[in-house]
Amino acid sequence: MSLFLQRTFDSLANGSAYAALAVAISMVFRSTGVLNLAQGQLAMFSTYIALVFATGPSPYMKFSSNTDLVGAAWPVWGAILGAIVISMLIGAFTERVIIRPISADPVAAVGATLGLYLLLGAFVRKQWGGRTMFLGSPFPQTVDDRWDIGGARLWHDSVGITLTMIAVLGLLAVLQRRTKVGLAFRAVTSNRTGSTLVGIRVSRILMLGWALAAGIGALAGGLIAGEINVRPDMMGRLLVFGLAAATLGGLRSPVLAFVGGYLFAFLETMLGGYVSFVDSQVTLVWALLVLIIVLFVRPSGLMPRTEAWQKR
Amino acid sequence: MMLDGSKTSPVKRTAWVALALAIVGVSLWVAFTAEPKIVTDLTNATALTLAFAGLVVLTHYLGLLSLGQGALVGVGAYAALHAVNDLGAPVLWMPLAGLLAGTLIGAIVAIPSLRLPKAYLALLTLSMAVAYPIILRQVDGNLPVTLDGAFVAPSWTGIPENDEHIWEFFLVAAYASITIFLVQGLLRGPVGRAFIASRDEPEAARAFGIPVYRLRLYGVALSGGMAGLAGGLMMVPTNFNDYTHFPEELSIKMFALAMAFGGSRLISAIPGALILIFLPVWLLDRNWVVEYGWIGLVKSEGFIYAALLLLTAYLTKGKGFMSLFERRSPKAQVTPANKRVTSVVGAMTDLETQLAHVEGLAARQPDIRSRQDSND
Repeated sequence: MSLFLQRTFDSLANGSAYAALAVAISMVFRSTGVLNLAQGQLAMFSTYIALVFATGPSPYMKFSSNTDLVGAAWPVWGAILGAIVISMLIGAFTERVIIRPISADPVAAVGATLGLYLLLGAFVRKQWGGRTMFLGSPFPQTVDDRWDIGGARLWHDSVGITLTMIAVLGLLAVLQRRTKVGLAFRAVTSNRTGSTLVGIRVSRILMLGWALAAGIGALAGGLIAGEINVRPDMMGRLLVFGLAAATLGGLRSPVLAFVGGYLFAFLETMLGGYVSFVDSQVTLVWALLVLIIVLFVRPSGLMPRTEAWQKR
Repeated sequence: MMLDGSKTSPVKRTAWVALALAIVGVSLWVAFTAEPKIVTDLTNATALTLAFAGLVVLTHYLGLLSLGQGALVGVGAYAALHAVNDLGAPVLWMPLAGLLAGTLIGAIVAIPSLRLPKAYLALLTLSMAVAYPIILRQVDGNLPVTLDGAFVAPSWTGIPENDEHIWEFFLVAAYASITIFLVQGLLRGPVGRAFIASRDEPEAARAFGIPVYRLRLYGVALSGGMAGLAGGLMMVPTNFNDYTHFPEELSIKMFALAMAFGGSRLISAIPGALILIFLPVWLLDRNWVVEYGWIGLVKSEGFIYAALLLLTAYLTKGKGFMSLFERRSPKAQVTPANKRVTSVVGAMTDLETQLAHVEGLAARQPDIRSRQDSND
């Protein structure tokens, strides 16, 4: 039982990252119909921005001359918040300048997000090189920072990441349900033409959607960087799980995508731990298989079929 | 049904033959005169032409997006190499193992995702592209693996033993030419027309009895098979495989080039394959890859491909630069070559005209109708 509990606790941090990416992907797809394939790279880029803030001027960073603007090294929380703000601006800029002019053509839009994917990867490799860097966690991360529950260790770090993510996504839900901006956002996702006719500034709402998605991705990248360190390919694995989780929500339900993120992390840990023929190192194969099986058995994901088909 | 309009004019046919001969001539000249390194690169480009042609089938003929073509090439390479090393397959036939593996994986990915909106195929194939190198690193601890075999030219070819790169080039070129010829033939026939019908008007295609889902499935499997064959062929000159050979960026670069240069003909796959292989060589020769900072960024492969993708998206709305050269004038009216169909259609049109005329007369003389009604 304690082993099961331990594995469940271990899946929390990864689950938070998968859930955040899945929510970001779903939000953009739901509002604009564009599959933002650069979501993982945007999160990776934001993590490097956080690294610049957290490190301060450093001879190891090719970007060091620009960090004079940053001044001294910031605390990790401040660095992540700074990265979130910059990422939101980048997200809004991306929607306004890159996506909006070609949003009518889905192939062109997908091509543009892939262009962004390559551009961000090239930028990071040329500015900071390909080596592994360390950002650190905003939460206590020493060996003593844990609770012992039922013989299992629950790390403060994992709990902090999970609670932060739940709080942020809860705030997002409140924003959508209780504010005028949220109402406008829901109206735009439901019927864009109708929203325009009743005076909602659709373009601004879409820009806000992209900005929020980029911000959530940046938060995920910043928080998970304490667990997996910072590398140009750090988001590859997370993106696969994030896309899989978003698929569970039919690409349109942020709530189900969020649940899907934790579900995939749980499955990943449990399959690796309990199924004898599944090596803990090859869980990605099983995640893909689960994704294929889910798509095969239930094409609409976990969404009720009628709702999913109506919204297609 | 053959249409008159689809026949190639003699001038066009001559131009195509001349182009094909020019390609063969240049290839022969390069194979026998260029340095072995360049011939090997050309061999790889020839192999990759097949993978690009597979993308053309997907994007142009089926209107689908695949972001995992590089991973399928990797699957083919892995299968071909292990078919020789573990199963003892002859090296000359090993690319066929790649063909089988690519077809199988393509079909497995396509079966669930084709039942959904088109975005899902892009999503699943991108996941596959990202996951492939990670999975390979985790699953096969023995990588890099070298091929247990060599390609020795038969004596009748007259190719010296130490010039095996020339023989490898001809081998790959033979595989690629035969495949392109067969696939082009398939696409010019009813299958190709059914592909286009399922792309443009899926509902109408269904109404005419075309099994759209099954057809798309075959298309994705065909495209995957071509990519797998390309991977198997890449093992001919390369002789070893590693998990770093087929990163997700390869798939995205292939998609970028297919989107930018892909046209309606499989031959449009050639520029993409050449750029994919020779651009890094060109950048390396100029020492651009070691430059960092902003200048290094502009001179990097990633930036060039990103710019290509964004320009294609903006300037051509994703249709590719080949579309800018296509004729804008409306196509000439084509008449069916089948005379029986023509006569039936003509008779039906005449009948409709006469019916309209009779109805017009009846409308002008309502008393005729009322009399008839009373009799009934």
